[in-house]
Amino acid sequence: MIQINNLSFSYSLKKPVFDQLSLTLPSGNIYGLLGKNGAGKSTLLKIISGLLFPTQGELEVVGFRPKDRYPQFLNEIYLVTEEFLLPSIKIEQYLSLYSPFYPRFNRSLFDEYINEFKLPRDQKLTALSFGQKKNFLLSFGLATDCKLLILDEPTNGLDIPSKSQFRKIVANAIHEDRSFIISTHQVRDMENLIDPIIILDEGNIVFFENYENISKKISITRQAELPDNNTLVYAESYLGAYTVVKENTNMEETSMNLEILFNAVVGNKTKINEIFKR
Amino acid sequence: MHLKNYFELSRFWLLLKMELFKSRKGLLMTFVIIFGLLFFVGLLFDCVVEQKKIFEAHPMNYAFTLMVGGFILSSLAFNDLSDTLKRYHYLTLPASTFEKFICMWLLTSVGWVTVFTITYTIYTLLANAIGSVLFSGMTFLVFNPFGNFSVNTMKSYFVLHGIFLVGAAYFKGYVFPKTLLVLILFFTVGGILAYFIMGDEFFNHDCGSGECAVLHEVISHDISVVLQWIFWWMLAPVCWINTYLGLKDQEV
Repeated sequence: MIQINNLSFSYSLKKPVFDQLSLTLPSGNIYGLLGKNGAGKSTLLKIISGLLFPTQGELEVVGFRPKDRYPQFLNEIYLVTEEFLLPSIKIEQYLSLYSPFYPRFNRSLFDEYINEFKLPRDQKLTALSFGQKKNFLLSFGLATDCKLLILDEPTNGLDIPSKSQFRKIVANAIHEDRSFIISTHQVRDMENLIDPIIILDEGNIVFFENYENISKKISITRQAELPDNNTLVYAESYLGAYTVVKENTNMEETSMNLEILFNAVVGNKTKINEIFKR
Repeated sequence: MHLKNYFELSRFWLLLKMELFKSRKGLLMTFVIIFGLLFFVGLLFDCVVEQKKIFEAHPMNYAFTLMVGGFILSSLAFNDLSDTLKRYHYLTLPASTFEKFICMWLLTSVGWVTVFTITYTIYTLLANAIGSVLFSGMTFLVFNPFGNFSVNTMKSYFVLHGIFLVGAAYFKGYVFPKTLLVLILFFTVGGILAYFIMGDEFFNHDCGSGECAVLHEVISHDISVVLQWIFWWMLAPVCWINTYLGLKDQEV
């Protein structure tokens, strides 16, 4: 689905955002792209969507070179950005203007999503709340039946029921020919949805693992004492106890905590690398 | 190279419909302002102040409004690129860059000239009828959209509007004033160069009798003929190609 080979990109002559980045993302997954501010997440998403052009390297997305922005490529990707503008028209007008550009647009599926999100059809899109607008764009994107949905901070601005609806809808919309890339800081909203996890740090992919592998290799526990240094990867003290990320040497069952995992990866890259290379 | 990657009639039609829908309010407002000004200032005010026997301003008014209106419209052709959030939407809309370019080229050239000329012709018929009633002693000349002057105006517009399309593809915001500024700078530099090259000849001759031998010589000079040819046949295609390339290279 996405093949990136030795990609380089920089906004200016200063430090490049990406230098010789390589990444392969097969279809059929909901990829979670995590990273600190300025790590290059949004830049990577823009490059994948053909909105920024790499300075070096090769990039193929759903069989196309994004830079060309061929209509057949744009039919297969749908990008929901963190901030967006919608025209001052009603849902029906939007559909009649934009849906014909997507040959496989599924109207009944769109109606299902709209009903599920309880979006009013009689109001102009500009009159909807931020979360409703986001849900509208997500519904439209899913109904296009495109192969790649790119969502940048999709749960920002969503209320609590909408967040669980979002998870449900995305989980049901995945199939073997489709992928999602979800870039987010709201990792708690994405737990049990995104898999594999990709962590980007200073323009490098420092972590790319699926849940199964993560839980096999490391365990996240809450304990009163710190474990010995050999297995310890990362620990956070909170309310008189430690949340500990350690090597899973006993094959113990562990619950996933993406926030802690992220901090562990960014805080102790060497140890994490060591564990996952074994 | 698949033609479908660049142009498909059905997709182009969708894009055209969408752009027309998006710009409907702006176009309507432009027409109301232009024809309101033409009637109240260009006709009524002119008739009251000038007290002429014959009203013959329609061709000049046509040329001025066609050009200025069209240039402003062309400057707004890629307005979506001026705003980062609109830009995301515009660039990821599943239509080719070529279709996006052709769509705006068609709307701002053929589309604008046709719609404006038809509307202007209807306006002059109505304005002449109203003018004849209000100013009974005056003769209002009929506007001929196929007359030499009108056709030359249209030809000039076709050539010049490309400059504003280039501006629309490259400048972010305030496209019309920015393009005008570039043109002013260009002509200032050109004027200064011309002054240094031909200044002495121009200032040291007398053409008070009406016939200017120097001017005639300049116009019929090889360089001048080449420049005229470039203006009529090269300027517009170069501008269109530049606009297309500018659109193709757009990033967010």
